Amino acid sequence: MSVQHIKELYNYRNLIWILAWVDFKQRYKNSILGYFWSLLEPLLMLSILYVVFSNLMKMQVEYYPLFLLQGIIMWSFFTRTTTGSLLSIVIKPNLVKKVYFPRDILVISSCTTALLMSIFESVVFILFMIIFRIPLSIYIIFIPVIILIFFFMSLGISLALAALHVYYRDLRYIWALVLQVGFFATPIVYPIYALPPALWVLTYNPIAQIIYLARDVTLYSKPPNLASLSYVIIVAFFAICIGYWIFMRREPKFAEDL
Amino acid sequence: MATAIEVRHLHKVFRIPHEKRNTIFQAFSGILRPTNYETFAVLQDINFSVEEGEMFGIIGENGSGKSTLLKLMTRILIPTGGSVITRNKVTPFLELGVGFNDDFTAAENIQIYGIIMGLTIREIDEKIDEILEFAGLGRFRDTKLSNFSSGMQVRLAFSTAIRTNPKILLLDEVLAVGDMEFQKKCLDVLERFKKEGVTIVFVSHDLDAVKKHCGRAMLLQHGEQVMVGETKEVVARYENQESSVSIKN
Repeated sequence: MSVQHIKELYNYRNLIWILAWVDFKQRYKNSILGYFWSLLEPLLMLSILYVVFSNLMKMQVEYYPLFLLQGIIMWSFFTRTTTGSLLSIVIKPNLVKKVYFPRDILVISSCTTALLMSIFESVVFILFMIIFRIPLSIYIIFIPVIILIFFFMSLGISLALAALHVYYRDLRYIWALVLQVGFFATPIVYPIYALPPALWVLTYNPIAQIIYLARDVTLYSKPPNLASLSYVIIVAFFAICIGYWIFMRREPKFAEDL
Repeated sequence: MATAIEVRHLHKVFRIPHEKRNTIFQAFSGILRPTNYETFAVLQDINFSVEEGEMFGIIGENGSGKSTLLKLMTRILIPTGGSVITRNKVTPFLELGVGFNDDFTAAENIQIYGIIMGLTIREIDEKIDEILEFAGLGRFRDTKLSNFSSGMQVRLAFSTAIRTNPKILLLDEVLAVGDMEFQKKCLDVLERFKKEGVTIVFVSHDLDAVKKHCGRAMLLQHGEQVMVGETKEVVARYENQESSVSIKN
């Protein structure tokens, strides 16, 4: 990852964008409900989890539906970036074998597709915020920063997964399991303080930290916690470095090994 | 005149593992047994250069390494040894319609393909009518690609590709598809490119086309370069070689 590489990526920005956009469009093209599928999915998740957790478990969280919805949208962003990118190299063998461009473009555009979908889903979240009359604070300006950090963290993990999946085709099944465990290990449906002391380790989960940062600034009018903000920036930085290192080492042989 | 492509001592070796380890489980279980590789030298010590504005032919039997050579020239593959130096942007044309998507319309596919081939969105918008016109598909602008015949798809791809202002164009067997009329159109375009000073590397089994359009050519056999020189002589050598093989058989 050098300055030169960033320049090259910049020259290919149109390609990144069109690949992301095509993917986004194709996802909904053949369905009658079209883009509304994208909204129904988180809403359905929300209603099920809301019924189960708010009634049965008597969770005491302020603005619980929004707390839950924001967690769901952010977690599905992570799920989509990583699972989408995991396959991004192997499902486009023609692009890898017949034309040249930096291969990380496939991963970056796949993450961009996920971002587009999440932004789209956030429309529902904004509606809920209006319905529930959530007071907005100045701290909402941190949201783009938090999204950016989350994007780069996911991109780093995605790069590593995409490159390794070319060689280890069972990685996708293993990753699906990891994500399933991750959903419950991350405070999406429950507040972080509900964790038993024995599971304190889970508070170091960077995704939990990011979700909490986002909730603080949007729902609870709180400034971002500086300790956890610096923590996630450091994690994102290392994720990108390690992700690129793994990716670049394997990239030259993709065309032969696919 | 300046050199557009310079190939020096180019080697390419493929490693073909005896058993392909494709899962983490296999990688772990095989950790103590080193993998055996069969090495296969696809190209050995290739040396040639192509001048700017020249049309250069590459001929040889199937499996002689022609396509691998083109892929090395575009950076799709990395050489095992030696180097390929290209001045200017290389437009590979190894397969028609890379990135074509059945779910999208002709116009949308032109956009996608054009960008993959290095055009900007604005350039594509300007050229889209021209491209459809040339392909003879003006009426099908908003038809899904899945409703196109394979011939129509090829025409669409070729028409898009030639509008990408190539400086160095690599063509791999692209004339094998399409009907007579379209082939003629393509060759006309190649002639026009030649006049405009585009460098073209032309891989084909159509020896007549090679003879007619290429000034110089190279003959490859089993990954080795047999001859580089005037097209007529190279083609004659190839034909001799072919006929001697068939007599032996």
